[in-house]
Amino acid sequence: MFEKLRCFFSARLRFRDYEPQPVTFGTVGRWVEQFNKTERKNLPLLLKNIKYVTEAETKNILCELNSNLVARLKQDGIPPHRIIYVQVDDAGSSSPFMLGILKNAARLERQGCKFVDSRDVRGLHDITDKLEEGAIVYVDDFSGTGVQFCKSRDFAVEYTVGNFAEFFLVPYICEEAVEKLRERGVEPVTAGIHKIQDRMLRAEASIVPDDVKKQLTGFCSKVDRKYGLGYRNLGSMIVFYRNAPNGVPLVIRGSQNQTPYVGILPRTTDLPPLMG
Amino acid sequence: MPKAQESVASQVIPKGLLQNLLPEQVVPSKTNPRRLFDERPLRDLRDNIRQHGVLVPITVYPIKGQPDKYAILDGERRHRCCVDLQNEGLRVTLPANIVEPPTKVAGLLYMFSIHGFREAWELMPTALSLETVMRDLGERDNQKLVNLTGLSEPQIERCKKLLKFPKKFQDLSLDPDPKTRIPSNFWIEALPLLELCEKILPDLDAKLGRDGITQKLVDKYRAGAIKSVIHFRRVMEAYEFAEGGRKKVVLDRIRSYILQTGLETRKAFDEFVMDNRRVQNAIAACTNFVDDLRRYKLRYVADKDELFEALSKVRSYVDYLMERLKGSDPPAPMDETPEKDS
Repeated sequence: MFEKLRCFFSARLRFRDYEPQPVTFGTVGRWVEQFNKTERKNLPLLLKNIKYVTEAETKNILCELNSNLVARLKQDGIPPHRIIYVQVDDAGSSSPFMLGILKNAARLERQGCKFVDSRDVRGLHDITDKLEEGAIVYVDDFSGTGVQFCKSRDFAVEYTVGNFAEFFLVPYICEEAVEKLRERGVEPVTAGIHKIQDRMLRAEASIVPDDVKKQLTGFCSKVDRKYGLGYRNLGSMIVFYRNAPNGVPLVIRGSQNQTPYVGILPRTTDLPPLMG
Repeated sequence: MPKAQESVASQVIPKGLLQNLLPEQVVPSKTNPRRLFDERPLRDLRDNIRQHGVLVPITVYPIKGQPDKYAILDGERRHRCCVDLQNEGLRVTLPANIVEPPTKVAGLLYMFSIHGFREAWELMPTALSLETVMRDLGERDNQKLVNLTGLSEPQIERCKKLLKFPKKFQDLSLDPDPKTRIPSNFWIEALPLLELCEKILPDLDAKLGRDGITQKLVDKYRAGAIKSVIHFRRVMEAYEFAEGGRKKVVLDRIRSYILQTGLETRKAFDEFVMDNRRVQNAIAACTNFVDDLRRYKLRYVADKDELFEALSKVRSYVDYLMERLKGSDPPAPMDETPEKDS
């Protein structure tokens, strides 16, 4: 009971605005009950090591990063009307949402900035053709392996003409993605690079004792033998108020449809569909 | 000086700076060089650089907005090798000539040298860039465009064919999803059929218009009734070989083919083109031709002018024919688990 309460208060306080599933005594309780007594002692440590980013923080980080970038570009002779902001994913996913937040909060339209969807390569071609030089700023909240971003960017950039510096404005990014950006000459503009050593369940990290790590990763393997640490076993520990990235370990997210294992911060796609 | 030549002459303006740059200061071409370079020659170059360093300077220009970063104009392979060597733990610097950023058109002309490697089904980026070059330089002549871009004349012709289609159709080839994208080759292969329809089926053309017929073909492709874009050639072949009363049958079949979404190309036209003898005869003619020439032992002939001329004609025709026969479907899209980061 003690562990359950401890986890609830910690989670409730820190993850209060998690959108996919509210953090209640019930959801925390069901999550804690899946673990045996020894394992339960590790849960507060697990929760402590999650880097949770609230709505307010996301907005503040995005605006601050953007404002510094715009000022820097202006100094280098690129005024806001030569900046093209690009959303890199389908409508409804994080990139357009983040760009929407930024657009409104920073009043980008008033500054004459341009906006385009990376899938609209004709639009990107026409804008770059007209501007001839400037900056392309891709916007999202997070990048794990960088595979998805690079796929969208590589397709879109072939249709650009002229000289454009490329930036990826993203509150947090994994070091694996940074490497892929470097290969392409895209500069990450970020509040933090999520290093492998900072991901407590990764073998390379030494944040928690080995036996604790073994117990927690053991649970991850029960949920998914091959990818217990999430997509490509990234083991990412950053969770946003809107959603948990798919590289987050399954001890945090639970099983698909939350059966048989439930998560404390399940991803929207981990949750069962709502019946009408 | 004509407008086109003026623009090209001013494409690269040296700043007069030669600097040693670190690989991380150099930004590769927008098109991913990994896809464009063969590993073997790259390995030879890498070994050479490992031993002697980079001997020939690369050409770069400063990127506005990214201080201390330079974009490559020439030397992509040398840079790639230096990155690889750096990953092996070797510190290599690149001597670099730093020039002024190229104009939009000059940058495009450089990019063509990379796009020249591309297969036809990835022709759309090249076509749109060529359109910009033609518009900005006011140049449409094929030979002049060949000289400007380094693209081959058939490549330019193919781009022009793509650009003949209205934007709404071109945009179907700009779909990021390869599963739903209409390949560029579709338009190139469909164009002769559309032109034929205008000529031989005026009633259908009057009723649907070229766009309407094009849309019908797109619908057929989406419905899986065009299993390969190359099969459009069967329609052309069927029409070309039909004689007498057969011509009307083929005309009716083309009409039905366009109007019936589900009617598959081979099913509709194989009966008119099943005769394989022509191809077999052509293969035999090629073999005999080469054998005959060998038999004449021509390597040391002194009066060669006439022979040169005759062989040139053969070569031109062979090149023309091979170019006509080229074309393929895009590779099947690979299924991969998409990463949804958040």
